[in-house]
Amino acid sequence: MARRLYEWDYSTHPGAKRYPHLFTPIQIGNLTVPNRIKYAATEDNLNSHEGFVTDAGVAYMRKRAEGVVGGLCFMQGVYLDKARQGQGYVGQAACWDDKFIPGLKRIADAIHAERAVAGFQLMDCGRVGAVEVDYCHGPSAVPQRLRIFKPVQEMTKADVQAVVRQHIDAARRGVAAGFDMVEISGIVGYLISNFISSYTNRRQDEYGGDIRGRMRMVVEIIQGVKQACGPDIPVGIRLCSEELLDDVRGNTPAESMETYRIAEQAGADYISCTLGWQESIYPVISRDIPMGNWIHLAKRAKQHVRIPIQMAYRLFKPDLPNAKIGAGELDMWEMCRSMIADPLMPKKVLEGRENEIRHCVACNLCLARLFRDAPMTCYINPVCAHESNPEFTDPKPAQDKKRIMIVGAGPAGLECAYMAARRGHEVHVYDRRKTIGGTLNEARNAPYGDDELWTCVGFQQAMCAKHGVEFHLGAEVSEQLIQDELPDTVVLATGPVYPKLTVPGGDHPKVVYLLDVMSGRVPVGQNVVVYGNRKPGIGCALHLAKQGKKVTLVGRERSAGFDVNPSFKWRYLIYMRQAGINAYSDSTIEEVNEGGIIVKTYDGYRWPVNCDTVIVSEREANASLKQAVQSEGIELFVIGDALVPRNLSSAVHDGYRIGMRV
Amino acid sequence: MPIDAEKEITRLWRALHGAQDEIGKTFYRWRQVALEFAGPGAKPLDVGLRAAEIFGKEIGKSLLPRQNWLKGEEAFLMNLGRCLADIWGVEGGIAAAEKGMAGEVLIRCTRDPWPSWAKEYGAPMEEVALCRERMFQTILEDVSAFFNIRLRIELQKAIARGQGETVMRLYKVA
Repeated sequence: MARRLYEWDYSTHPGAKRYPHLFTPIQIGNLTVPNRIKYAATEDNLNSHEGFVTDAGVAYMRKRAEGVVGGLCFMQGVYLDKARQGQGYVGQAACWDDKFIPGLKRIADAIHAERAVAGFQLMDCGRVGAVEVDYCHGPSAVPQRLRIFKPVQEMTKADVQAVVRQHIDAARRGVAAGFDMVEISGIVGYLISNFISSYTNRRQDEYGGDIRGRMRMVVEIIQGVKQACGPDIPVGIRLCSEELLDDVRGNTPAESMETYRIAEQAGADYISCTLGWQESIYPVISRDIPMGNWIHLAKRAKQHVRIPIQMAYRLFKPDLPNAKIGAGELDMWEMCRSMIADPLMPKKVLEGRENEIRHCVACNLCLARLFRDAPMTCYINPVCAHESNPEFTDPKPAQDKKRIMIVGAGPAGLECAYMAARRGHEVHVYDRRKTIGGTLNEARNAPYGDDELWTCVGFQQAMCAKHGVEFHLGAEVSEQLIQDELPDTVVLATGPVYPKLTVPGGDHPKVVYLLDVMSGRVPVGQNVVVYGNRKPGIGCALHLAKQGKKVTLVGRERSAGFDVNPSFKWRYLIYMRQAGINAYSDSTIEEVNEGGIIVKTYDGYRWPVNCDTVIVSEREANASLKQAVQSEGIELFVIGDALVPRNLSSAVHDGYRIGMRV
Repeated sequence: MPIDAEKEITRLWRALHGAQDEIGKTFYRWRQVALEFAGPGAKPLDVGLRAAEIFGKEIGKSLLPRQNWLKGEEAFLMNLGRCLADIWGVEGGIAAAEKGMAGEVLIRCTRDPWPSWAKEYGAPMEEVALCRERMFQTILEDVSAFFNIRLRIELQKAIARGQGETVMRLYKVA
């Protein structure tokens, strides 16, 4: 009979009734897991540069363990070699020696403290490794497509056998540290996927050739790890169901499914179904990919193997995985980014608090940070990677209860409002609009998934209601109102101002402003110039290009999308190219005239651009009311775009931090 | 202020050609530095060829993301040929890729300022064609390894002084 680590009874929870399939047990190997939820191994760069676990890493994992409510919680993949060729991230945890066991045990204990199943992942990063050394290793020395990665050294047969040994030794250490399950990472361009793929494995020896040869190392690892771990520890593997490397002659889908069958035959107890490589030219997980886009791959995988299939990839809401599990097309719902954005996401689902979930907006800032050697952070979750700091996780109740006036019901104001109210302040939010959300009301009309940004407002609205924030919508805050109300504190979250175009012709009727266009309040011609090449301008340009308009983007930044993280920016650039949007960066508008505008580059070149509409998306800080508040001697904070025009993330982070401090 | 198109274009044109001029001259200035450091025993041609290899290796990296095997062998080869011609163009030449016989693409350069720069800095003009060939060969090494195919490029015709035309043949080895 399969063993069960902890007893969980979900029957009284509303989420178990609404999503019954998510909260039914499943047997994996000889272990029964109480539900179908898994926090998938995710790098966080929170460990020391020598690979030792830190307090921040332990606290980060414990919060996710609380979130899976008894399900699987995997720590990040550990690298396995002393030479550090397999290390892909500067803050990746290591497991090449017994000296790492005590730190790893802290993570296993933290997961167990939340009565969840502790998972341990083995990850040699292969051709995307060697972050601290000069050469990474791989089956063949295939040149790197992306410059950020190190040159590849071809592994000898002895090297291959050493890697097999390293996996086995690390698995043994993981079990000694107290983990309940072991997973082998074979995805996105890491070493195992390098061996499996016809793109990167050109070997002629027994570790190359056909798909069985290319899987030989994987089979040896699975069998060796299984033997080292014993019958009570399930061993799984993450494998690509589609590499999306057709353009460089990677594996076919049929070959990928063959790898699933071989892994099952080798003894794998489950497979986590993944897709795409870091080198793939196709987007997989960014916001422009619809949710549930890849779930059919889990169904296909289940047609080829009998062991449980787990999958993540744009499954941010519980309804689809619940339905697919019910239909027998998926066995477990994995999450990475959705639990970075809200570590308690599945717990809130279980407790019927879905409106309190802070949803991931699939911006990939977390990835962009990891690839640039920075600690994990989240665009939308200000607490992420601060879980070890009680100031962030559990802000103290305010000692002096204040009456706080927040001016502006956009993301910055709302975030600040609920946090301040949560700490016991009396919070009043004013906005001259009759709706909450500020400029997100317009921004969410931009294409390629920007409507998902609105989930942030949904979350904040629920939290404001929970903590008793009072709203005064349709109320313009004036100097007089401030004097009448005389609050203890004023927080200005008024959003940016869109300054008049102060060039000759700047008052021409063809000049209109971003919010008016994005809300559909003003008509726009067929030939449009958008002024401002940051995210708002790009969103507007794509919005209009999708309507069939000819769009030119002019802006002062050195490159369009300067304020968008690189892991998402490339999507925008491709869409702009596909839409035929001309982008003039490092440029300003020198003049607006009847025919169009004159563009002037930073170094003084000038040329005309024909257009019938000019849309101004450039923004400035908003200083209105500042003087009025200060002259009354009232405590003042300015947050979000009112302080410095930036993005949704800065608004949320500003709001949260001031809400903590006020 | 109305645009004086002729003036704007003239300024741009001068700036572009000035930048191209500097590319070539900088190469030969560094070649001089390398020769001085290498000492009297060094062969100038070897130094030039080694520089071409290093340039090729670097440029090859930026070429890899732009190639796509899915477009078919013929389109792949033509796209690669265009990329090589573009490199020449950025460096001041006028070059284009055209379809040759089956399985080959010809890269034809009808104007090349490099021999003039070589002459200005006292380098043999014959070195220019050899370095160009070596640079493209080095680029193709990485492209070949990346796509698991064997590509070659051969200098078919070169007029050292940059007049007439230089022709290179790009093809896949069976």
